[in-house]
Amino acid sequence: MKNLKILLIGQPNVGKSSLLNALVGPRVTVSNYPGTTVEVTKAKKKINNAEIEFVDTPGIYSISDRSEEEKITERALFEEKVDGAIIIADATSLERSLYMVLQILEAEIPTIIALNFVEDAKKKGIKIDCGKLEKLLNIRIVPINPLTKKGVNELLDTTLKIKQTVKQGFGNEYDDHIEKAISEISTQVESNLPKRFVALRVLEEDEDFCKYLRNKKVIKEVKKDLEEHHPKVAEDISITRYGTASFIAEKVTQIIHLREEKEFGEKIDRVLLHKTWGLLTTGLFLLAIFGILLYLGNLTQEILMGLTEKLLSSFGAVEHSIIGMVLIQGLTGLAAGVSIALPYVFLFYLLLGLLEDVGLLSRFIVNTERFLKKIGLPGKSFIPLTLGLGCTAPATRATRVLSSKKEQFYTASLLPFVPCSSRIAIIMGIVGFYGGRILALSVFVAIFIAGLIWALGLKKIFHIKSEPLLLELPPYRKPLIKNVLSKSWIRMKDFVYIVIPLLALGGIAYGILKILNITNIIVEPLSPIAVWLGLPAVTIIPLVFGFLQKDLTGAMLISVLGSKISLALTPLQIYTFGIATTIGIPCIIALGILIKEFGSKKAIGLTITSIIYGLLFAGFLWRIISIF
Amino acid sequence: MTEFYTLRIAKEDILRTLAEKKEASVDSIKGEVKASSSLMSKALEELEKEKLIQIEGNFIKLTKIGQEKSKDILRKHLVLENYFRETSSEVTAHRKAHIFEHYISEEVVKNIQKLHTLKERGIPLTKFRLHKEGLIADINTPNNELFERMVSMGILPGEKIRIMSVIPGCVVVKIKNKKFALGDDIAKKIRVLEYEKS
Repeated sequence: MKNLKILLIGQPNVGKSSLLNALVGPRVTVSNYPGTTVEVTKAKKKINNAEIEFVDTPGIYSISDRSEEEKITERALFEEKVDGAIIIADATSLERSLYMVLQILEAEIPTIIALNFVEDAKKKGIKIDCGKLEKLLNIRIVPINPLTKKGVNELLDTTLKIKQTVKQGFGNEYDDHIEKAISEISTQVESNLPKRFVALRVLEEDEDFCKYLRNKKVIKEVKKDLEEHHPKVAEDISITRYGTASFIAEKVTQIIHLREEKEFGEKIDRVLLHKTWGLLTTGLFLLAIFGILLYLGNLTQEILMGLTEKLLSSFGAVEHSIIGMVLIQGLTGLAAGVSIALPYVFLFYLLLGLLEDVGLLSRFIVNTERFLKKIGLPGKSFIPLTLGLGCTAPATRATRVLSSKKEQFYTASLLPFVPCSSRIAIIMGIVGFYGGRILALSVFVAIFIAGLIWALGLKKIFHIKSEPLLLELPPYRKPLIKNVLSKSWIRMKDFVYIVIPLLALGGIAYGILKILNITNIIVEPLSPIAVWLGLPAVTIIPLVFGFLQKDLTGAMLISVLGSKISLALTPLQIYTFGIATTIGIPCIIALGILIKEFGSKKAIGLTITSIIYGLLFAGFLWRIISIF
Repeated sequence: MTEFYTLRIAKEDILRTLAEKKEASVDSIKGEVKASSSLMSKALEELEKEKLIQIEGNFIKLTKIGQEKSKDILRKHLVLENYFRETSSEVTAHRKAHIFEHYISEEVVKNIQKLHTLKERGIPLTKFRLHKEGLIADINTPNNELFERMVSMGILPGEKIRIMSVIPGCVVVKIKNKKFALGDDIAKKIRVLEYEKS
């Protein structure tokens, strides 16, 4: 039996995941490289006594750029010991795809090109001579259509023979001076990787490749020689490569009649990319999405809680035993977990995947950019921030859409100020119910202001500057439902496996603490916090134990103060309590996901800092208000 | 097949050198065109077969067809060198022309030629008129990575560009049937000229 490992590489929106679906179906596994967050999916296909493992990489434009996606692809390329690569090329912009092909060929990896969107290109009047391209590049080209599965079997057959059929592919040559520099650096390369490739990467200022050099001095020497003709050698290499790519593309492309698109998509864009209408529609869309999620979230929670109660009452007497009480709390946690996972995670990701595949998501990003840029965030960060209104834990996970670790953590650090559904329930249920709607509303305003101060402060202290916006807006396409479904499942999978058990555990832990009756023990040492907040000492219990089970904060408050809260607390105290419980990383589950994403040091640091900030803010606020 | 491009470049360089000098010895050509000697003889052999040059002893002369073709190549080189000279130093202009000339398409050369005959060097994309077709004249960024990223996305000098929409903070453009959203900080660095069909 033969085993092959094949990497799938392509630009964003080139139909990579659709191809993977067409090749192996939706059975994929996700894996992350340690220390990184961008997923790499893998899938196996058995065919004629052989097994091909496909490794899907994030969409990239070139392998030399330093964004997280590109680093991952590069790592997959060299650490996975692949037998070859399939590059998915876009027939409607061949030269751009060829740019990456040339780079992969420089790495001397056996390559097959899967040419996608051939029909789209034809409609636009672009015809590509595959035979000629095959001859020029000396590698196999297979036209494909993942939607109709055209060419998929041929691609599989070609892949099986990748080692026999693929010879030395086309090698791009550079200007004499650069070639000389390449050969000088090559003599110092000590690696299993092709010497020429390493030399090029070094010249392109990729520091990860310097470790392969015996003597690093050679870089300085070579750069000095290049100073006269190529002071910016990295730039010249990319221009040459693109030049070659467009030269080859021009040779094999026949443009029959390039007609300006005046189609459906243009009409939509006239609205969605309009300076006022675009913003308005984006806002309405996001509001609608959030509304749907909130409604369904509450509905599932009600139904599940009802079921849990029924289940528990069938235990009858067990309720009063120790195990029974622990069980009740555990089950309550579990029910809360499922009622988060179903709407806020799966549905959100389903909608997100749909928006992404249709092509709407990139338009939304453009419209949110102008606001988020002001606090140093890229437009993309609206995805985790919106999701944060549902549940902080999956929102933390969703920061992965951002391209750098720094941006991811910065976005996560704003989630303490995005009230999740449980925190919204506290504000509406406690503050709103006992203190009135206006008071509840002013809690939201206060949190927003607190968040703004926090964001602007961080931006100033850490010199956060958002990356400039450079985003391709893909044409609108019909989504492949199977594709969207499998994508949502991949994204929610580890949430389900981590968060739901954590919620159940948090519930059980609270149950145990309650039975052992040690919840009161912490009141004494932590009473200064209550004094600072101007609250009765017992309110420490819901404040602290809310961290195990945010949904129970309200119930805990009632259990320590009695049901007549409006008698026990003044409106100002209710207001302060609402702010103090809301700001901060809300619960143990969010902390768990934070640890998984950013490591325990950063996660715990953020949790403690944000909670202290929230307490300080609430304390100062009530003092200021009480002056008037 | 792989060698085709190197051979092509060697051939183009020989023709260009001859166009500048009219007649030259094989050795002096070798001094100018720094290809390997095996490639050099192959290039000369092919050029002679294609009836573009005549070799008499140690001397090389362009034929009539050769003269025509070499003029084109020289023109391409000069167009590029002149073009780049306006924004960069002599040395940089030469090196850029050197790289571009073998690879760039005829259409882009035509566009660039048009660019440098125009006195002004374009205006920032942020100030360009909506829906008007333009030509990217220059991208001024000291950031290598950003430049590489833009080139790999297909945003580079000589390409036609059209602003589809302006949103506060960013412009939406179309280049070769692909749409991009560019932040103002990037758009400011792209200089654009009005494009007229010839």
